[in-house]
Amino acid sequence: MSTNSESQCYFIQLQIDSFVDGELSSAQREVFMSHVHTCEDCGRELQYAQTVHDAILDLPVINCDENVLEPIHRLVNNGHESAAPARSSSLWTALGDWLGSAPMFVRYAMPVVAVAVLAIAIWPAVFGPTQDAPQVASQEVQTVDMQQVTYGPEDIQQALLDLNLAIDYLNEVSQRTEVMIGDRFLVTPLQDSLNASFERAMERNRDALLDDPI
Amino acid sequence: MIPQYRQAVDQHRQRIFSFAHYSLRAKEDAEDVTQEVFIKLWQHWQKIDHSKLGGWLMRVAHNAVIDQVRKNKSANSQQDDYAEVEEQAEEIDEGRQLDQAAFKQQLMEAIKELDDPFRSIIVMRDVQGLSYAEIRETLDMSESQVKVYLHRSRRKLRENKTLRNLFNVSVGKPVTDKESLTLSTVKATNE
Repeated sequence: MSTNSESQCYFIQLQIDSFVDGELSSAQREVFMSHVHTCEDCGRELQYAQTVHDAILDLPVINCDENVLEPIHRLVNNGHESAAPARSSSLWTALGDWLGSAPMFVRYAMPVVAVAVLAIAIWPAVFGPTQDAPQVASQEVQTVDMQQVTYGPEDIQQALLDLNLAIDYLNEVSQRTEVMIGDRFLVTPLQDSLNASFERAMERNRDALLDDPI
Repeated sequence: MIPQYRQAVDQHRQRIFSFAHYSLRAKEDAEDVTQEVFIKLWQHWQKIDHSKLGGWLMRVAHNAVIDQVRKNKSANSQQDDYAEVEEQAEEIDEGRQLDQAAFKQQLMEAIKELDDPFRSIIVMRDVQGLSYAEIRETLDMSESQVKVYLHRSRRKLRENKTLRNLFNVSVGKPVTDKESLTLSTVKATNE
């Protein structure tokens, strides 16, 4: 075999995988095929490559037995209380999980709506009796309202606790939003500004070196 | 969290176990790696970006496999020598037809013998059918690097002596120590 044809074989064999993947252009493919048809060694090499490739694609899917994951399930079941993040109540955990899987606008709108509804519900009970002026002005109407809905101190305390929880959750959401906004609108311009400063400094140093008589 | 975690485990378990199985010699090691990956998922559940969960799991699996290979390498170095002698003895008894089962078995062994990242890339791309983008994300390299490594992996795989001999026997080519025209031999001649 001459050196010329050997180097041709070398380049053809370099292209075998691209040929197998269908990544050669039509011109490259034509040159490749014409060589492979005339060169027995390269023809066999292609056949071997194709056989190996087909065998790889045909390798069986390996099933993961259920017993492999048994320790994982045990860990999850045992560590539910200890490893899972502590939440105030199962209701809030469930709400958090649901919000986590909900679309973005629902995620942010829901806590706001919840707080608003809660605030409207407890407003008359908490602030109603202390507002003297309106009480005098519309005493008759307020008396009727108070007769219809009465809240005990425990109810008010519970409502305040719920409100606090909702506010905590809202704070968490707003912190996350701040981080997201910060990443997009604050960090990038700051980084750009820093990069520009560095470039200017480097430019200055470069000029100083060029102007240096030594 | 629990239902979502279970769902993630169910969704990715086959891919992780399959990757570990094709990368490691012992099934038990593949099982250990799979467990390790999903324990790490549990521990880092709150911190990870769930939109890139597949890539994260593959990256953890890849690192766990590398650790396991390192652990096994020192322990099994002597055993491998004996295994090679046994394989060579078996080759002589091979029939002339390409025994698909034996060929695939040897192919799996040859894949496991590859070094990383050649082994991981060929398993991810050719065995598991991951996209170049997914592999790039998992191994933190460019797409062109992945392609180059993939082609090199396949060439290294084809250079496996036992695999080549099995093929040569099937096409009626005598098995000798001298290999047929391979890229490495041509390259050596040119140099």
